[in-house]
Amino acid sequence: MQIINNLKVNEKLYIDRLENGLTVMIIPKKDVQKKYLILGINYGSNDSSFIAQGETEITEVPKGVAHFLEHKMFEQENGKNSLDVLTALGVNANAYTTNDHTAYLYECTDNFYEALDEFMDYIQHPYFTDENVEKEKGIIGQEIGMYDDYPEWKVYLNALEAMYHNNPVKLDITGTVETISQINKDILYKCYNTFYTPSNMAMVVCGDFEPELLIEEIKKRTIMKENKGDIKRIYPDEPENVVKNKVVQKMEVSRPLYTIGIKCNVLGLDDLPEKAIRKHIAIQILMNIIFGESSPLYRRLYDSGNISYTPNMDYEFTKRYAHILLTGQANNPEVLYDEFKKMINQLKQEGIKEEDFVRIRKMIYGDYIKEYNDVTDIARMFLSDYFKGVNTFDYLEQIGTVDLQYIMDVLNQVFDENRMILSIIKQ
Amino acid sequence: MKYDIKEIKKGIKIHYINTDKFKTNLVAIFLTTDLDKETVTKNALIAPVLTRGTTKMPTQEEISKELEGMYGALFDCGIEKKGNNQILKFYIESVNDRFLPDLQENLLTKSVETLLEIVFSPYIENGAFKKEYVEQEKNNLKQVIEGRKDNKAKYALDRCMEEMYKGDNYEIYRLGYAEDIEKIDEKNLYEQYQKLINNCKIDIFISGILDEDKNEIIEKNQILNNMKEREGKLIKANFDIKSRENENIVFENMDVVQGKLVLGLDVNIKDEKQQNDVLLYNSILGGSANSKLFQNVREKASLAYTASSSYLRIKNSIFINCGIEIENYDKALKIIKEQISDMKEGKFTDEEVENVKKGLISAIKAIDDEQDTQIMYLFGQEFSKEKVLTEEYEKRVRNVSKQDIIDVANLVKINTIYFLTNKDGGGENANHQ
Repeated sequence: MQIINNLKVNEKLYIDRLENGLTVMIIPKKDVQKKYLILGINYGSNDSSFIAQGETEITEVPKGVAHFLEHKMFEQENGKNSLDVLTALGVNANAYTTNDHTAYLYECTDNFYEALDEFMDYIQHPYFTDENVEKEKGIIGQEIGMYDDYPEWKVYLNALEAMYHNNPVKLDITGTVETISQINKDILYKCYNTFYTPSNMAMVVCGDFEPELLIEEIKKRTIMKENKGDIKRIYPDEPENVVKNKVVQKMEVSRPLYTIGIKCNVLGLDDLPEKAIRKHIAIQILMNIIFGESSPLYRRLYDSGNISYTPNMDYEFTKRYAHILLTGQANNPEVLYDEFKKMINQLKQEGIKEEDFVRIRKMIYGDYIKEYNDVTDIARMFLSDYFKGVNTFDYLEQIGTVDLQYIMDVLNQVFDENRMILSIIKQ
Repeated sequence: MKYDIKEIKKGIKIHYINTDKFKTNLVAIFLTTDLDKETVTKNALIAPVLTRGTTKMPTQEEISKELEGMYGALFDCGIEKKGNNQILKFYIESVNDRFLPDLQENLLTKSVETLLEIVFSPYIENGAFKKEYVEQEKNNLKQVIEGRKDNKAKYALDRCMEEMYKGDNYEIYRLGYAEDIEKIDEKNLYEQYQKLINNCKIDIFISGILDEDKNEIIEKNQILNNMKEREGKLIKANFDIKSRENENIVFENMDVVQGKLVLGLDVNIKDEKQQNDVLLYNSILGGSANSKLFQNVREKASLAYTASSSYLRIKNSIFINCGIEIENYDKALKIIKEQISDMKEGKFTDEEVENVKKGLISAIKAIDDEQDTQIMYLFGQEFSKEKVLTEEYEKRVRNVSKQDIIDVANLVKINTIYFLTNKDGGGENANHQ
């Protein structure tokens, strides 16, 4: 077991790779009651076209299978639902699906190992029947309907559709009522057997544990066998340019919602993880210099009554796509968008003040430290960073190396007007 | 964790939570006042106006820069209603000095001072708030009030509560009313601010690693020294019997894909002791994935993605929430009513009781793991007759029996059935309003 000690935030990461290929990460937290375990599978809604281990033919499955599978994993052959069994133990269990991974998790204060028995049991024993698959279609149909009423979700999806020609990130994770109607138990088994293999997974545990004891308990419950051979995932080629610069949809909202998207280049396969981290830090600093609470842009838009809060600023990246999203509400999103572009041009020409850069970098440093309060946040963060190929601690180590010169380079490369889009939801 | 309360003046309490569990310090100020139609809108407007400028930092830009420079100290404010009280909440969260490259920052002291400055030393021009700030915040507040309809599930819940509490001050929306905003100006708002801070109950929470000298931050603070004594009262839960003969059925039409069904239930218990029994009742009815509602509405009948209930302790009410297809209104309602009557008849096992206890106890134990949750829990104790710390709370939940739950189940009565439906209506048998 490898131990990484971070003195800045005073936390340790224990990392081990089991014989069958499963990666386990443990972050012990003394004197905390809550325990959190999350198992991630490197399989998300984007993986609908692939060649399974040892095969030569391409398998195409309907959109929404990863999410459907996530719902169905809780069903057990003895007629029980593992979610109910875990709940009965006083354990809070859940699961979610993203574009690039699926995660199963539980949190508890007591009965951690009883819960681990049940958890490992259902993860390793899928049970799909024609009947239980049909029934789930009704529930997922309602879930899709629920998202249809969320303007926040629509403005996001429309932004992705405006940015991406082919990359499946632009599609709804749940699929549509039409695509899920094509799902059957054979498809579910096929995807389970292909992707739910130990070397394609990672587990993160956070709480008051002795890591050496915990790892033994996990090993005892692991029966998954190593699956030799690679999964070949097939993704369509994606051009650098965006599809369209603007997309507007009408919905019943009191104030228009906007998302500004900036399509970014993905890092090359040979690039070191530090490069991804430094770029991420630089983009976070830049977004705050451009549109944070102390920025002139925010001040102007606020004083004119166009907006009343700073946008939610996100840089999402995986090995296959990367983009910046700024989302919020504005009376006039078009004006906001023009001012935003002007501000970027001004910064490119006049440069960024040293004092602004130093202050915002301090702020981002504080934000990173704050992430280590809660076992849930810690475990989720380490898991999603793992799938991006980076170690979360490195953000704390790398931030000091990000200087103003590098910030200016990233500003000039990434904040490119030709690769920006505006998505609006209004009445 | 060590928790001390010090009443520095009548009506002003400092709550010290000494804990080394977190990477952060959290400072909170809560101003508690009556929820009243006359003042609710002004009070809701005061909070954002205070964030615009202080005596020392007259602009928001200066405040923002100060906070950013404090390693991104996070300021937040909010308005809540808790029973028939309106609460203005202000927070600053900052990194504990131990985790900073420069140990001399003293961020806890700075956080306390900055928060007191924002709340009690606003920027003033000619004996009033700055006109420009008030006008801008009036517009913002108006937009937020009008934006209530954007989150359909939340809106449906709020509307059900309003319908259920017609004639009780609890029906008042926590942020007030758009039509009352127009009458507010920088002068009458400042007058209301003076009245508020001179009369409201004040609770200040300081959570983090508190060294010996932390008392001094408070004792030496000029702003607090100048504060007046006040009564510091608040409105606690009352246990009057609510009696409504017939269910109140309300339909509202909006552009929704999914219908939102909310049921408001009265629970006519006699005192605080029975509140934990209701807590367990609610857990079995709709508090988890094993609950009757989740199992029967979602899992067995496939009628909904969400089906749950929540217990509003201070009003002794339970709210049931479902997102359903509009045509399934009657079916869903029938199943929900069956669950309520099954509870009355005691159709649940001892095992189910033990299981929900485990879930609740786990949640209670976890309260002290989150800094803001811990503060909210301790503040909540101000509203009950008896102060109960988490350990005692856990013990009391453990002691609830199946019979206790059946007893409160028989005190449950449907008060209001609210359905947010699309423009075509839906639910043939309902009496449309």
